[in-house]
Amino acid sequence: MAFFHRLQDSAFTEWFLGSPSIWAYPTVLTLHTVGMAILVGASFVINLRVLQGSGVMPLQRLRPLYRFIWFGFTINLLSGLVLFVTEAADRVVDPVFYVKMGSIAVALWLALVLKRRTIDRADGPQVATVLSRSLAALSLSLWTIAIVAGRLMAYVK
Amino acid sequence: MADLSAWIEATWISKALFGISWLWPASESLHFIGLCMLIGGAGLLDLRLMGMFRGLAIRHVKTMMPWAIGGFVLNAVTGTLFLVMQPHLYLSSGIFWSKIAFLVLAGANALFFETRLAVPALAMSPDADTPAAMKVVGALSLLSWFAVLYCGRMLPYLGTGN
Repeated sequence: MAFFHRLQDSAFTEWFLGSPSIWAYPTVLTLHTVGMAILVGASFVINLRVLQGSGVMPLQRLRPLYRFIWFGFTINLLSGLVLFVTEAADRVVDPVFYVKMGSIAVALWLALVLKRRTIDRADGPQVATVLSRSLAALSLSLWTIAIVAGRLMAYVK
Repeated sequence: MADLSAWIEATWISKALFGISWLWPASESLHFIGLCMLIGGAGLLDLRLMGMFRGLAIRHVKTMMPWAIGGFVLNAVTGTLFLVMQPHLYLSSGIFWSKIAFLVLAGANALFFETRLAVPALAMSPDADTPAAMKVVGALSLLSWFAVLYCGRMLPYLGTGN
């Protein structure tokens, strides 16, 4: 706990949150939103296609979307770490933070499971199974929960 | 604009909506979910128009458009709610009007695609490369949607109105 307080009370935090420069907090926060749009946007498309069951888009051709998922995730992991450090002591005791982290972890795991079950099957059927469709619906719900939790964190101090 | 803001804020609908304590944070969450739907669905079409995602026919990528349009409608509604609840934050803000300008650009670009390019685009084979005009339209669309996002997210820091 002392460690998280040291992070939150560090000179870096003071500069980051107190700086009038738009390149400090505002830019990192905006990067976190851009990363979310790329990560969750790409994941939404995959999940919605899988939910269609026998949709017209060949599932295998959606594979390049995973590059966008990992690109968006990298942006948000890095920007998220910076945002966490500056509020570390508040966040480690904030249940909403753990809801967000848990939802993201499971949603990313589901993205990998859906890739293996549908997209990696080069000559596989274009019809997603009931299990795959259920996992896609779960993934959509988890991203929604992660977004709502992220927004609510701005109101929990 | 300050007069207009004051007038809107004096209306009973503005006061009533702003009086609902959960409406603002709930609208924020929906605004974020809507932007993911919009950028996900429209972004895939934009990238295909730019020549990426060969193997996906443009007419098939368009099956995602109802979700993109749904996201846009969600954000138009929640965005209007913000505007009605706290007009002074937006109407006198330069960055807000930049956001509106990028929205108009994105809309005009989409309209140009639908009226001039959609017919040949929908007839293209899944593996075909796209002509230069479609690449420009795709890139312009992607750029303008991310510019809309940037202006919106930076609005509190680049200057709300008074």
